Amino acid sequence: MKFLKTTLIAGLLALTTAVHADSLFDDLGGKDAIARMMTRLVELTSADPRTAHQFEQTKKDRLARLLTDQVCELSGGPCKYRGVNMKKSHIKLGITEAEFNALVEQLQQAMDEEGVPFHTQNRLLALLAPMKRDIVER
Amino acid sequence: MAQSRTTLLFFLTILLIFSSPTTAEENLFGSGKILATPGVIQVEGTAGGGLTPWAVISGYGTNRQIGGSVHHTYVTTNDFTLNATGATVGLYDRLELSFTRQWFDTGSAGERLGLGEGFKFNQDILGAKVKIFGDAVYDQDTWMPQVALGAQYKKADKGAIVRAVGAEDDDDIDVYLAATKILLDKSLVLTGTARLTRANQFGLLGFGGPNGSSRSLQFEGSVAYLLSRHFVLGADYRTKPDNLAFAEEDDAMAAYMVWLPSKHLTVTAAYTDLGKIALQGRQRGFYLSVQLGF
Ligand code: HEM
Repeated sequence: MKFLKTTLIAGLLALTTAVHADSLFDDLGGKDAIARMMTRLVELTSADPRTAHQFEQTKKDRLARLLTDQVCELSGGPCKYRGVNMKKSHIKLGITEAEFNALVEQLQQAMDEEGVPFHTQNRLLALLAPMKRDIVER
Repeated sequence: MAQSRTTLLFFLTILLIFSSPTTAEENLFGSGKILATPGVIQVEGTAGGGLTPWAVISGYGTNRQIGGSVHHTYVTTNDFTLNATGATVGLYDRLELSFTRQWFDTGSAGERLGLGEGFKFNQDILGAKVKIFGDAVYDQDTWMPQVALGAQYKKADKGAIVRAVGAEDDDDIDVYLAATKILLDKSLVLTGTARLTRANQFGLLGFGGPNGSSRSLQFEGSVAYLLSRHFVLGADYRTKPDNLAFAEEDDAMAAYMVWLPSKHLTVTAAYTDLGKIALQGRQRGFYLSVQLGF
């Protein structure tokens, strides 16, 4: 009986650590880290000649805030994205696959600078990748 | 050799002209794909792993761009060396065209086989591959892989000799269907390829033979793990027909490490086991491939 109890507790512990290890939000470093990365991303995107032309009219602070909420929620964090959906917010921008990928590379750079490990980065990118269907127009 | 050097020069010139600093938002040769997503050039000159074609289109061109690459691959086993030089063009991430010439040097085994020391079996491989559906990179929320249909026209240059060892023809077409799935959250790239072929030792020893004169279905698989942004670890396995009577032919495998310092340079180093070749026993050895591209 005692053995069973110990096993059960050990099992539960293992399970909770497994669930915990699965929280991408924590692995990204939590809300503050995400906010820093999204601010940096908007900065890089606005400076990179491959994407800058798309963001000439953009309010950078607002975009960084919306991106932070979005990534926070997407990764399982305690946030709620209240912006426009991906299809509506990118329609008519004529975004290309090359521009989308450029933004992915900028995000990778922002995550590198924050010290997010490569495999954690890929878990976030896996959640963002399907959005390409709504964002890329041509 | 002269021909391949010309091909190489031609592509290097194209590279120089078009990979000049890009400021335009949509440069036709702007290398818009994400690093490592076009795979490497496999031994027959198409985008894939070491031995197995993948469903991806070679080069860093997106759906609105053109990409391409040149490669040289060197394989050395117990008794043989294989050199391969070629080029690929990827059009709009939809159609891939490739050309590779292989030189298979029998070294001192040539003497033992009565062909003469350093006798070379060579072949030219013209490839075409078209992406049919799915997207290996973006379809992260479904199980749907990227699927491509490919063909390789192969022409062995020593027609009389390959017929003398039992092959029926010195040229033929391989047809394959490749499915590639990137599991980005696991940093894995999985590929399964089914090939209809009658090639003996990839085609170097001709096509068909006493033990099989028509194409048979062969399977190839590839597992690659993205170690870091610039390093990929992978392994390929490939079944082959066994058509010739004079010597048994085995399956082939390779385990490789790819280094991608940039989108313009890719280096693959591999350990390979090609199985028994031409009565000289099991051929194990090393493989090095250098690829330049955009
Ligand atoms: C996975 C990739 C992307 C995500 C998650 C994303 C997310 C967002 C979000 C949350 C907004 C704010 C929507 C709102 O205003 O309520 C936004 C707006 C915008 N995005 Fe994206 N985006 C992505 C890719 C891109 C790309 C590749 C471009 C162009 C290079 C782009 C250009 C824009 C622009 C111009 C706006 C409008 C900003 C403004 O209000 O002025 N986005 N995006």
